[in-house]
Amino acid sequence: MTAVESGGAGAVYDRGYRPYDGPRGRRAAATFALYQASMRRALGIRRSWRQKVAPFLLLGIVTIPAIVNVGIGYITRGEALLADRVEIITYREYVGVSAALLLFVALVAPDVICPDRRQRILPLMFSRPLTGVDYVLAKVGAIATILFAFSFLPQVVLFVGNMFVSDSALDYFTGHLDVLWQVPVAVLFLAVYYAVIGVAIASLTDRRIVAGAAVIGLFLVTSIASGILVGEDFERNGGSLAALLNVLALPLYLRDLVFLGHVDFQSPLAGVDNGALYAVVTYVVVLLAGIGLLLRRYRWVER
Amino acid sequence: MPLTRPPTAPGDAGPLLRLDGLTKRYPGVTALDHLTVEVPRGRIGLVGANGAGKTTIFRLLLGLAHPTEGDVEVCGIDVARDPIAVRTRLGYMPEHDCLPLDQTAADVVSTFGELSGLPARVARQRASDILDLVGLDEARFRPIGGFSTGMRQRTKLAQAIVADPDLVLLDEPTAGLDPLGREEMLGLVARLGTFGISVLMATHLLDDVQQVCDHVVMIDGGRLVVSGTTESLLERTGIVTVDVGPQREELVAGLTAAGMIATAVDGFVEVTVDGDHHLDQLRDVIAGLGLPLYRLSTRIRSLDEVFVRRAGAA
Repeated sequence: MTAVESGGAGAVYDRGYRPYDGPRGRRAAATFALYQASMRRALGIRRSWRQKVAPFLLLGIVTIPAIVNVGIGYITRGEALLADRVEIITYREYVGVSAALLLFVALVAPDVICPDRRQRILPLMFSRPLTGVDYVLAKVGAIATILFAFSFLPQVVLFVGNMFVSDSALDYFTGHLDVLWQVPVAVLFLAVYYAVIGVAIASLTDRRIVAGAAVIGLFLVTSIASGILVGEDFERNGGSLAALLNVLALPLYLRDLVFLGHVDFQSPLAGVDNGALYAVVTYVVVLLAGIGLLLRRYRWVER
Repeated sequence: MPLTRPPTAPGDAGPLLRLDGLTKRYPGVTALDHLTVEVPRGRIGLVGANGAGKTTIFRLLLGLAHPTEGDVEVCGIDVARDPIAVRTRLGYMPEHDCLPLDQTAADVVSTFGELSGLPARVARQRASDILDLVGLDEARFRPIGGFSTGMRQRTKLAQAIVADPDLVLLDEPTAGLDPLGREEMLGLVARLGTFGISVLMATHLLDDVQQVCDHVVMIDGGRLVVSGTTESLLERTGIVTVDVGPQREELVAGLTAAGMIATAVDGFVEVTVDGDHHLDQLRDVIAGLGLPLYRLSTRIRSLDEVFVRRAGAA
């Protein structure tokens, strides 16, 4: 450090330039750094308070059913008969709080993806030890992680709350061991699916509002179209494969497979032969299509 | 797996860049045409008119485009074989706006440091140091959206050098800057050499190159025009410029009478000299006529003239 200017009260120092010869990461480190940066952006961390409101408000909203359920369980805990104790939502149903997830995907996926293209940041990104595959992995991974956390944390609140308002916490725990793997697996199916679709659609435009509208539009249009094709009397008519057109509800069939081992008897796919198999195949196809689109959009290196 | 750069990495002793028969064709246009050149370490000016192929060279150096023919080596590393290794040793400052406007300079530079492979804590510390170095110490916690053009250019430079690259690619670093901002940016670029960072500066402003670069590569239409040290390209013309005030014609007549070639041009007298004896003769004529001598300098051909002449000849 060199004193370049000094006076009676102090001195100004030119700290100069210090070379760096420490450890350097390569692709994995760059991918993880981008993943962390995308998570921070999605959650509004290191941004103004306005950007923090939406994600944490949403987390609060999706946690309300758990809190209400536990509260009612606490109030009715003295009832002698289990039937008199009120349970307003099951773990399986809670996984399907997908409307809130949809809103979150529509809000956050474009915010994490679109500015990179609109503000021409991509050339800077790809001048680092980072490939298109790494970029897609980091962005989808960040959204999927947040979706997973936002779906899983309320379930934890529900489970722990139910455990403590039950007659015996230990009995409740041992009696619900299945939930401990069913919830994370089902939530993982949802999180990855919504993340891939949200990011894939957002990658098609550099305008956030257009991307957000497109995400919501896709989910709404496919669910309405599917509803019309399946009809109202699907339980009596034996269901229809058209139920698989509902992009919003598709991962819920996998949730049912995880929790029930079969498609829910009240779902529009219930009467279809091999309906579960078709649901899994469609889920995988949609995921692969989304990933394929993303890899193509961020191939970046020209041939 | 984290890598520690060895004090002497492979290729450190060789040329900084080696382009061998480099050709890049796009449908309907040849951006680079069998470009072969070796460039030493230091501050290099990559000079050419708009569309000459400068940006294509940058894309090829970064491994973001594949050459149609030929090879590219950066610091001894074949770009086609290991583009990731090359990118860990490069910094890049694009010409266009490329910064997230809603983030602070400290966040952006720190994030790009991490993306270059620095550990998070080191990236934050270096971002602070580098922003201080480029003169953005007090502004580093302000959103970039409120920055002036000059401050944005400095931020772009900071993100390019935050990971201590071997070579930094600067694409028109003075574009859009006012004269003061331009001088400050060129001063920063000149300092990079003293930090052990080589510079490849693409520009069409030859004055910028002449001011800070010690080696020049000129290209035109995707072909090499000339490559050499700045000193060697600033050709001496064999003409000296003499300022004797308003008595120019008197000096011209005296020199002509002494058998020398002299003309009055733009308020000066240009005298053709061929060896020290002509300079002695010039001194004697001026002294004999009792003229004041305000300035006497060797006229050097500017890079503009060199480019126009050589590109025309090519």
